[in-house]
Amino acid sequence: MSFWRRREESLVVGAAGLALFLAAFLPLAWTFIEAAAADPPALRRGLAALKAARPWILLGRSLTLAAAATALALLLGVPLGLLLGKTEVWGRRLALALQALPMSLPPFLLGLGWFYLFGAQGFVGSEASRRILFSELGAVLVLGLAFAPVASSLTALGLWGVDAALEEAARVVAGPVRVAVRILLPAAWPAVALAALIVFTLAFSELGVPMFLRVEVYPAAVFARLGGMDFAIAEAGFLTIPLWLVAIVLLGIERSLFRRRSFAVAGLRGRSAAPLPLGRLRFPAAACCWLATLLLLAPILSLAARAGRGGGFSAANQWLWPSLANSLILGCAAASLLAVVGAVLGHAAARRRPGEKILDGLAALAFLAPAALLGVGLTAIWNRPPTRFIYGGPAILVLGFLARYSIVAIRSFAAVLAQFSRDLEDTAAAFGAGYLRRFLGIVLPANFRGLAAAWILAFVFCWRDLETAVLFYPAGWEPLTVKIFTLEANAPEAVVAALSVAQAAATALVLALGFLVWRRKAPW
Amino acid sequence: MKMRMAILLLSFGAGFWCVSGCDRGGPRVVVYTSVDQVFSEPIFRAFEKRSGIAVKAVFDTEEAKSTGVLNRLIAEGGNPQADVFWSGDPVRPLLLIQRGLVEAYAAPNARNIPAAFKSADGSWTGLAARARVLLANTRLVPADQMPRSIRDLADPRWRGQAAMARPLFGTTTMHVAALFSVWGEEKARAFLNDLKANQIRLAGSNGEVKRLVAAGEAAFGLTDTDDANEALREGAPVRVIYPDQEGLGALIVPTAAVLLKNGPNLENGKKLIDFLLSKEVEKALAESAAHMPLQPGVAVPPGVSAIDTLKAMPVDYARLAEQMERIQPWLREWAGL
Repeated sequence: MSFWRRREESLVVGAAGLALFLAAFLPLAWTFIEAAAADPPALRRGLAALKAARPWILLGRSLTLAAAATALALLLGVPLGLLLGKTEVWGRRLALALQALPMSLPPFLLGLGWFYLFGAQGFVGSEASRRILFSELGAVLVLGLAFAPVASSLTALGLWGVDAALEEAARVVAGPVRVAVRILLPAAWPAVALAALIVFTLAFSELGVPMFLRVEVYPAAVFARLGGMDFAIAEAGFLTIPLWLVAIVLLGIERSLFRRRSFAVAGLRGRSAAPLPLGRLRFPAAACCWLATLLLLAPILSLAARAGRGGGFSAANQWLWPSLANSLILGCAAASLLAVVGAVLGHAAARRRPGEKILDGLAALAFLAPAALLGVGLTAIWNRPPTRFIYGGPAILVLGFLARYSIVAIRSFAAVLAQFSRDLEDTAAAFGAGYLRRFLGIVLPANFRGLAAAWILAFVFCWRDLETAVLFYPAGWEPLTVKIFTLEANAPEAVVAALSVAQAAATALVLALGFLVWRRKAPW
Repeated sequence: MKMRMAILLLSFGAGFWCVSGCDRGGPRVVVYTSVDQVFSEPIFRAFEKRSGIAVKAVFDTEEAKSTGVLNRLIAEGGNPQADVFWSGDPVRPLLLIQRGLVEAYAAPNARNIPAAFKSADGSWTGLAARARVLLANTRLVPADQMPRSIRDLADPRWRGQAAMARPLFGTTTMHVAALFSVWGEEKARAFLNDLKANQIRLAGSNGEVKRLVAAGEAAFGLTDTDDANEALREGAPVRVIYPDQEGLGALIVPTAAVLLKNGPNLENGKKLIDFLLSKEVEKALAESAAHMPLQPGVAVPPGVSAIDTLKAMPVDYARLAEQMERIQPWLREWAGL
């Protein structure tokens, strides 16, 4: 076996790790390096910012808000996931598919939808509903409902992954409620816990909704230092330290809970043929599910109504297409890169290769780090004459997305591989197949659905992204979410609402296409 | 296997080439702007049509208004990506001028712009101006109790019912800096503390102030003329008041065009600035955004005040730039961030 052949895996994993290092670690570390080198007093100011009481109060508030939003999302999402994923509720697949829509929109747009509903002059608004909406409680409700579909989808997928034999055996001796409570939910708890972690992270790092509802949160304090006149990078960098501590704690919890268990996120195991019978409860259960689905879709319906009322759909035409095309190109390019990096690093994680924990941790930290800080770092690192072809074009956004969302692709593919026996790989290795041959010839074809799921997930995150792109998108490459966010301030409400509906409709189309691909077998 | 690998690598190479360079070719100009996208983008489309030069734009968001692209221009200073900065106010360009990032350009169309709204050496040239105004909801504020001064924001009569944008970004920071400049440090701080004591509602942007007032969620608020005009167009029950016309005067905020040093398309940048300073653009912005023309002889549409009919707050824009940088940490503390 040649020298290169023996080191194929190290080289490929190293290359993927290097991409992550260049996209995520360097820009984030730059904040401190550059600030220290250029302006030592700035570091003192940064430290002083951390010593003040206010940031810690905001941190406490953000943690509380994220915890409450997570609780709400689970309270609604888990029963919904159970009913839609495992019972005979009418139209359950359609309901699950519809719930993917709010999940793939920036929460800020959903907040806008709730505002059109419950603002003082909203469709069903009053002074009381306005007060609730523009408060901490309002932020919890908006974020909890925005992220509830994450909980319902992951719960459903987790339940689909439960061993069918186990479920069938339980059904012989127990009723549907007992099977659900004693067998299905405990078996699917890693998926539920993962949903809790994702929702908590998303709610904790959310900037648009709290700013819109005038709730002061920690990420806004970081943003204020990067968006303000004095451009206090060092202070922003120091204020990121507590965020990373939170990320490390979350990672610790996650690793202690899940590392020894596998769970399905792509529905790869054999499903139980028959859904759980609900008997007399079928109608009320279906009514509850569809009411809950309607509740989750309410902000989108409200946006559609607002758009229709003011002739927004025809007026939005002039603003829509270039940004929609930008979002599609950027989303597809970034999702493809993420799928490749995610497949390589996800495989390394699933097979416990050396260094995988460090790369996984780095990806997790980049996910939680303020996107604005990442943007500043990416500008500093990549805006140089030799790399102008990257910084001056959409490739810089693709790099930004790689930094921010690699964890999504890595974890989803690793979760799929956790259920894929390594015997085939070991056998091929015994017959002399190198890493690349095993990876391209066995791992990817056998897990094509997992790869497609990782691509779709990565695409959705890039597609709905606002925070990463807003501060450093290249000239002429404004994504649709940023355009909506920018126009929202001054354009007629009906136009903004129509653009938001267009984003939701395009999401539906992309998800439908993705689903069709997901159902196919590997093309090679 | 080798064929598959080659196809895979070629696909990624093609994809990367696409995302890194697919928009090259043809004459172009890169502009960063903090003028609201809803108004500035149609101007750029008109320039494209007229000149055949493609405009690649970066627009600022309302929340980071003016400062997001400004900080980006500073960060990109060593390797500029933009040719033109069309700022929503004249203060941010001065911060770029201080850092040596601006190329002076005495545009032919700048000749008739009043001296107060341009620099003598052509570093920045003002055009289409806004004013800071009070926007009142006529259902909540009786006609005889309309606010007349920005001091009314701190009037206990309107406790919890007045709104302004968080003064960390955009024209609101400039307005606060102007107050620090005109009133002095102590009086300005006391006023801001009075606002807080009066439970003023801090919105994310001037556009949001407009929305709050138009929706009746605030009785009145401090915003810009373009936002106020938008509320009027939407048929909201609002009235626009130019504040302090018997006293301090209203703050006038011209937009400003700046040519950036070492931009990649310098000549096209000059062409864009020439176009921005034309009467045609001033007229279009007066009609679409209620901006007050600075070029003489441009007709003002109904509902838009002519610049010479207003009492303007006496400010030196260059001093405001320094003031804004200086008071930022205090303002952040005041805003609770």
